[in-house]
Amino acid sequence: MKLILSTSNIMSGGPSVIRRPTFEKSNTELTSSLRANFAANQSSSSNAPTHHSHSLDSTLNGDCTRPSFRDWTAQEGDTLQIPAHAPSPLTEPREAYDITVKLFYLPNIPANRRCIQTREAIDLVLRELGTTSIDLLIVSFPGISFDADDEDSDSEFEQSPSSGPASTEDGETAPEDIETMITSWRTLEGLHEQKIIAKLGVAEFGCQRLSKFLPKTRVRPSVDQINVRDCCVVPKPLILYAKKEGIELLTHNDCTNVLPRGTLREILGAGEKGVGVLSGEGRGEGLKGDVEPQWVVKYTAVVKDRGVVESKGYFAVAELREA
Amino acid sequence: MGLLAIGTPLEWPEAKKVASHVRSWGIEQLLAIWRNAKGKERDALLWGDEVEYLVVCYDEKKHKVRLSLRQADILAALATDEKLLHQGGGIADAQAGTVRGNETIAPVFHPEFGRFMLEATPGKPWGIGFKDLLDVEPNMKWRRTIAKDHMEKEEYPITLTTFPRLGTPDCTTPSYPVSGPKLRSQFVPDEIANPHIRFPTLAANIRARRGRKVQVNVPVFRDENTPWPWRDPSVNYDLHQWPEDDDVRNGAVTDNYIHMDAMAFGMGSCCLQITFQAKNIEEGRKMYDQLSPLGPILLALTAATPIYKGFLADTDVRWNQISRAVDDRTPEELGEKPLKNDRWRLPKSRYASNSTYISQDPRLRREYLDPSLVIDTDLKQRLLDGGMDDLLATHFAHLFIRDPIVVFAEDLQELDLSKADHFENLQSTNWQHMRFKPPPPGSDMGWRVEFRPMEIQITDFENAAFSIFIVLITRAILSYDLNFYIPITKVAENMETAHVRDAVSTQKFYFRKNPFSERPVSRPSASGTASPVANSRPPTPVGPVEDEFELMTVNEIINGQAGSGFPGLIPLVESYLNSMNVDVETRCELARYLDLIRKRADGTFWTAAKWIRHFVQTHEKYGKDSVVGEDIEYDLVKAAERVTEFEGRDGFAAEMFGRRR
Repeated sequence: MKLILSTSNIMSGGPSVIRRPTFEKSNTELTSSLRANFAANQSSSSNAPTHHSHSLDSTLNGDCTRPSFRDWTAQEGDTLQIPAHAPSPLTEPREAYDITVKLFYLPNIPANRRCIQTREAIDLVLRELGTTSIDLLIVSFPGISFDADDEDSDSEFEQSPSSGPASTEDGETAPEDIETMITSWRTLEGLHEQKIIAKLGVAEFGCQRLSKFLPKTRVRPSVDQINVRDCCVVPKPLILYAKKEGIELLTHNDCTNVLPRGTLREILGAGEKGVGVLSGEGRGEGLKGDVEPQWVVKYTAVVKDRGVVESKGYFAVAELREA
Repeated sequence: MGLLAIGTPLEWPEAKKVASHVRSWGIEQLLAIWRNAKGKERDALLWGDEVEYLVVCYDEKKHKVRLSLRQADILAALATDEKLLHQGGGIADAQAGTVRGNETIAPVFHPEFGRFMLEATPGKPWGIGFKDLLDVEPNMKWRRTIAKDHMEKEEYPITLTTFPRLGTPDCTTPSYPVSGPKLRSQFVPDEIANPHIRFPTLAANIRARRGRKVQVNVPVFRDENTPWPWRDPSVNYDLHQWPEDDDVRNGAVTDNYIHMDAMAFGMGSCCLQITFQAKNIEEGRKMYDQLSPLGPILLALTAATPIYKGFLADTDVRWNQISRAVDDRTPEELGEKPLKNDRWRLPKSRYASNSTYISQDPRLRREYLDPSLVIDTDLKQRLLDGGMDDLLATHFAHLFIRDPIVVFAEDLQELDLSKADHFENLQSTNWQHMRFKPPPPGSDMGWRVEFRPMEIQITDFENAAFSIFIVLITRAILSYDLNFYIPITKVAENMETAHVRDAVSTQKFYFRKNPFSERPVSRPSASGTASPVANSRPPTPVGPVEDEFELMTVNEIINGQAGSGFPGLIPLVESYLNSMNVDVETRCELARYLDLIRKRADGTFWTAAKWIRHFVQTHEKYGKDSVVGEDIEYDLVKAAERVTEFEGRDGFAAEMFGRRR
C-alpha cells in the first residue's frame, strides 16, 4: 500500500515551524509539522459526531482518546492519504508567485524508481497549489552533506567504486556516483523541456562534484543550495567557482536524510508518540507491515513583490509492505 | 516632516474658532479618500526609512561643540547640486526625477522642526528584494556623506537623538537671545526652530492653547555627588518679559527633575522611522495592530537618550519628552480644573502611544480595546454614515478629538475633496507610535503604516540593522499570520516601562505568550478543494485575556523563552528566512544585522544610552554630580563621530558592537 503523508500549509501551523537553535536537528520541521497536522485532524474528527464503529475498538483497546485512523485518513484503491487531504490552491494569479520545490530522494531507495517518483511528486505539488508550473526545482541526492570547514569534503567520496547508494556500517549513506545522479537529472531535464520547471538546482554540491556534474548535464543547474549554519564560512573557491559558472548559491536549513525510517515508523505507529495508523505488537486496529519512506517533497510559494510566504508544506510518500 | 502649503497662519484664538470647521472638512476629505482607495489591491511591499541628523559645529580652539543653525543654507546647497539633481536626489521640492530604469537614485533631504536638524530618505522606496535590503546600509552611508559634503568643514551630521547640552547658554551657532515672542523659552531662542511659518506657529499655538509654556520635566540621574533634593540650577526665576515667565514661579519646576520649556526639547530629537506600503487596506490595518505591541520593545532596545540640557537623566529614551514638548492640553483637559469650556478630559498628549486597534481581525477581542477611549461621537457618526466600519471610524474619531494647531486662512474658503490638507492637518499632528496612512489623493500609492518609536542610532550599520529587522518582522507577521495582541492599555504601560534606565536589561514588558493561531484543519469538500471545517467542531474555548500574556524581558521577546514559551522575534525571522531563497552573501549580511539585535537584547552589547552614560561617568572632567559639562560634551560628540566612522572596527566602543570585521 502507498502512504501519502501531508502537512498542509505549515505557515499557519504555529510552533512546529519554528526551530530553536538548541535543537536544530533539521528534520524537525517536517516531522513536527506532520505530527501537528495529524493531531489537528485527529482532534477535529474526534470532536465531530461519531458514527464509526472504530471508536468502540479503540475503547476496547484501552485508548479512549485516540479516534480510529479511518476517521481522518482517506483510502482510494491502494493509496492511503494521511490525513485525508484536498488541495489548497493559490489565491492570486500565477505570475504573482515564486514557487520553489525541493525533492529529497531518500537513501537506500533504488535510483531507477526516481523517474516515476519525480513525476509523482511534481504532480502532487502542482495539484496542491493549483498551478501548472514551478519556478525552481532543487533535488537533494542522498548521502551528500556540505561541510563548510572542509573545502574538499566532496572529493573523498569518489573513491567509492559502487554505483548505486550503499549503506555504511553506522547507517550513514555514502553518496552515489555522478552517473546515477545524471540518470535522475535526465528526468528533471525532461520536465524543464516541457516547461513545467523553469529552473533546476542541486543541493550540497561542492566544487569537485559540480565540476564533474556540469559537463554531463544538458540543462545546467542554476542553483546550488547549501546548508551552512554560519554562511560567512562558505569556502571561497566554491563562491568563485559558482560565480564563474553562473550558479547561484542559496542557503537552506534542511538535512539530507529528512525522513528516516525509524522516525516515520514512530510517527505512524501505535505507541505513545504515534497516531495509530500502523499497528504495534498486537495492539490497535492499525495497518500491518513494514514501512519504507520513498521520497519527500517540500514546496514554498512566495508572493514575489511582497516577500510573503503564502503556502509551504511537505508531502512524503512511503510504501507499506506486508511483513 | 513634509512642509504643507504656505499662507497666512491664524493665531490661536482665531484658529480655535475654526477648529470644528477644519475637523468636519477633514472628515469629508478622509471619507473621499477612503471611498476611493478602500478597494485598492495587490500593492507591492514598498518601504522607506527616514534618518534624522543633528548638525553640530566644532569649535576646536575652545574645545566646544555647538548646534549649527544653518539648515536652510545646507538645504540650499543640496538643492543646487547639479550632480545630485541629475541623480534624482536633492531636496524634496527640487527633485529632478528624470532617472531611468535601474539607475541608482540619489537620496533626498528634508527640513525638520529644529533648525539644527536634517532628514534624509532614500531617493526611491525600497522593495523586498534581498538586494534592496543590502542596499540600505550603503545608502544610509551615502546620505551622510552627501550631507557632510554640503556642510562647512567644521560641521558634521551626527545621529545622536538629542544634543547633550541643548538649552544651555551658547549652545548654537550663530547665537541668538532667548525669550523670543514665539517660544517664550528661557532656554532656547525662537531661532532654534525652522523659520518656515508653520513651525513657529505650531509652537506658539500649542503654548497659547495650553495657556502656558510646555513643561518638559525629566527625572535627573542621582549620582554620588548630586545634591539632593536636586533643584535644576539652570532655571531663572526672575524673568518678567512674558506672562509665561510666571510658569516657573507657579510650579512648572519640580524637585529632582531637569526642567525644559519649549517644543524644541522634544521635536528637536532625532528618530528612525520606517514606513511600509501594504497590499490593501486590510493588510495595512493588520500591520498597524500587530506592530503596535512591538513599539515599546523597540523603543527600549534602541534607547539612546540619557542626557538633557547638560544633565544626566534617569531615563534612557526620548519619547515622553517629545510627548510633553507638544502637549497642548488645557488645564481642563488635563483634569486640573473642572470641565467648563473644553469638551472632555484627555488622558494623553497628542504625541503618545497608540490608543486603539483597527484591524477587522477575528482575533481582536473586545477586551484588548480601551473602554475609556475618548472619541468625537458626532464625527464618528459621520464616518459611519459615510459607510466606514466601526473600528476604523473609532480610530479616526479618536484622532479628531484634537484641535488643528496650524490653520491657514486661505484654506478655509472652499472644501476641496480632491485634497487631503484638512485631514492631514489633524492626522499629521497626532504623533502616535504607529501611524495609519491613507493613500494621498491623486497618487497611485497604497495604504501605508509607519513605525515611529525607534531612537536613531549612532551608526548607519545599526540604523540599517533595525530598519531591516522591522521589515523582516512584518514579513514574518504576514507569512505566519502572527498574533501579538495584548490589551492596548498594556502597550501604553510598556511604553512607560521602556523609559526606565537600562530597561533592556532590568525591566519586563507585557507580551503575548503564544503568537500563533490555532491550526486550521482543511478537509476535502464536495468541490474537491480544501475548505475549513471549523463548523464541525465546537468553537475554540477562549480563556481570560489575562492568561494570554505575561511579563517578559526584552531578551525573551527578541530571542525567545526556553521550552514551549514565546519563540522570540529573531527565531521567527530566521524561520521566515529559512523559507525563502536567500543567497549565501545576503544571508551572511543579514546575519550581521540580526546578530547585533540579538546581542543588544541579551545584554552582550550595550545600547547607545548605556554607552553614552558610561562615557560621561568615566570622563575625567565628570564630578559625579550629574552635570555634563562643555568639555565632556565636546569629547562625547567627537567620540560619537568616531563611532559613526569606524563602527567599532578600531576597537573603540566595542561595548556596542563587539569585535567587528
